[in-house]
Amino acid sequence: MLWIAIRMLTGDAQKFYGLLFGIGFSTLLITQQMTIFVNLVERGASGVYNAPEAEVWVMDPVSRTTDVSYAMPATALDRVRSVKGVEWAVPHLRAVANVRTKDGDLEGVAVIGVDDATLIGLPERMKEGDKSVLFAPDSVVIDDTGTTRFFPPEQSPIGERLELNDQRAVIRGIADAIPSFTSTVVLYTRYSNALNFVPGTRNRLSFVLVGVSEGETPEAVAARIEAATGLQAQTREEFSQAGVNFIIENTGIPTNFGITVFLGFVVGIAIVGLTFSLFLRDNIKQFGALKAIGVTNAKIVQMVAAQAGLVGMIGYALGVIGTVAFIRGFGANPFFKGFYIPWQIPLISLAAVVVILAITGLIAIRSVLKTEPASVFR
Amino acid sequence: MLRNLSFARQILPALALIGLAVAVWLVLGGLPDRSTAQPAEQPPKAVGKLANEPRVAGAGIVEPASEIIDIGSALSGLVTDVRVRPGDRVEKGQVLFTVDARAAQASLAQANAAIGEARAAIAEASTAQKTAREQLALYRGLGDPAAVSRAEVIRAEGEEAAATSRLGSARARLAAAQSAAAAARTEIERLVIRAPIAGEILAVNIRPGEFVATQGGGNSQPFIQMGQTNPLHVRVDIDENEVARVALGQPAVVSPRGAAELHVEATFVRAEPQVVPKRSLTNSAAERVDVRVLQLIYALPPSDDFRVGQQIDAFIPAKAPAAKGEQ
Repeated sequence: MLWIAIRMLTGDAQKFYGLLFGIGFSTLLITQQMTIFVNLVERGASGVYNAPEAEVWVMDPVSRTTDVSYAMPATALDRVRSVKGVEWAVPHLRAVANVRTKDGDLEGVAVIGVDDATLIGLPERMKEGDKSVLFAPDSVVIDDTGTTRFFPPEQSPIGERLELNDQRAVIRGIADAIPSFTSTVVLYTRYSNALNFVPGTRNRLSFVLVGVSEGETPEAVAARIEAATGLQAQTREEFSQAGVNFIIENTGIPTNFGITVFLGFVVGIAIVGLTFSLFLRDNIKQFGALKAIGVTNAKIVQMVAAQAGLVGMIGYALGVIGTVAFIRGFGANPFFKGFYIPWQIPLISLAAVVVILAITGLIAIRSVLKTEPASVFR
Repeated sequence: MLRNLSFARQILPALALIGLAVAVWLVLGGLPDRSTAQPAEQPPKAVGKLANEPRVAGAGIVEPASEIIDIGSALSGLVTDVRVRPGDRVEKGQVLFTVDARAAQASLAQANAAIGEARAAIAEASTAQKTAREQLALYRGLGDPAAVSRAEVIRAEGEEAAATSRLGSARARLAAAQSAAAAARTEIERLVIRAPIAGEILAVNIRPGEFVATQGGGNSQPFIQMGQTNPLHVRVDIDENEVARVALGQPAVVSPRGAAELHVEATFVRAEPQVVPKRSLTNSAAERVDVRVLQLIYALPPSDDFRVGQQIDAFIPAKAPAAKGEQ
């Protein structure tokens, strides 16, 4: 009986592919837009993710994110080191500076000073060169997104000289980093160099990165640091969430993407609902005939559900495949670098597809259920 | 069967399922790695007992036990000879360098000539005194007062007195010349700069031919730096907020910068009585003026891992009651 329903569905190729298109399109729209949204706001946490060793970030109580921070006195490092449960603590400087390129152009960059001895705070992987290049004098490591901003593609940035605060800086490596929300060029250098590269203010230490002793949780250590030093301490998760929240609160991105996702949903309901209703209405005679030979309403609901299920399954698959292909295909573009599809999003769009089909199916099926077997003769 | 194979009914759903499976695999495989990584190199950390006990951390600098002595010169002049090189171990009083002593040598020669001249004058005056005395004795020995005129006697007496006073003045000149010679010798001695204590030469910033001014010439480099490097001390800065927690007298665990895997136990020497503005040990361009620190001095065991001026990270035990306040 269900096979008849499937034959009925695919018999009208025009409407069948129309339904697939509707579901596929709204799945694509919802999944892809939500993916881009999530990845875009997660850029607010890229500073946290680019320092993979740090389990707790310590900062001034007024600091909010990796890019909105207020510097602390230099002894804050020692005070954090004194706290029980802190296995290690290293200084971390984040500041903006103006760099003069060889052509004389001025460009704003983010300068990140990582610990002198251990280089904690550098991104985990290097695209070119080794982390140890930072031990050379005046050396900086540029992030891969910044490379494309500063240099034409055919030119290797390695060995290029920049001028930072009247100091010479030589690019000696490229870091494989997650770009920041604003895609600012990021220069990584050692803490002592960074102090020279960034024009001087009284306090310079932006963050203290902390590793937690074995047997301690980051949450407990962060609470203890706050109690002992009066500074603000956040775990990696909290601080990356703070970066995301900052973007959500201070930009129109959520509204923008929310509208698009909603439109995808509406378009899905409109196309699918219209086509599904038309399809069922066209086949009302067949349903009448089935009723005439004694098929119950429950069976008819099952049939319609099977039709909706098939359409939903294929359409959803097309939409998800489209999104995956899109993200994979544009992965090389610096704007999409590091983009990924969180596993929750396909589930959300699946739920949306189910809701779309349920709403449209319920609306469409009412006429079928009310159909009298006699209608086959009309 | 193949004849009945329908694109819409069989192939498309199958393709959709396969595509969905591939998509799921790609989505799950593409999830980013957000886990924390272990540091490649070990940062400084509290070890052993201190790891689980209340502690205070501080940054510090290695210095000689005597602190660094900037050797000065008492007199200005040209350097003629530098007798030590950086790294030399010297005894107390050993010559470090000499300053041009020609002027002082000339004054010494002058004084010596004056001594000779004074000695000659003494000899001349004593001869004259002797002659005058003999003549006077001759006149006085005569029985007959008329044998020699009264005027002649007075002249002889005057000659004797004059010779005596000439002798006295010549003796005084000798003393003056001798003290001038002694002054010149002292001057020469002051132009030889010697080690004030036994120790190691840390820096030599002068070369023969250079002019040394007496100390205090602006922000010029010290001529020679030395200090007692056996043992070495570390001067650890403790934030004033943490001062109350420090357990004074306890040994500290010290690691040099860049070699955090080394943990050296340093014994307590003293705490500086004064809390001072933090001298920047972080290579910063500007000095911190709002942070004050207590400086603690610890002695390092003999080791080749530390050098004067090197930065270190130190962990010091904290007092037990402070731990309760921390909770």
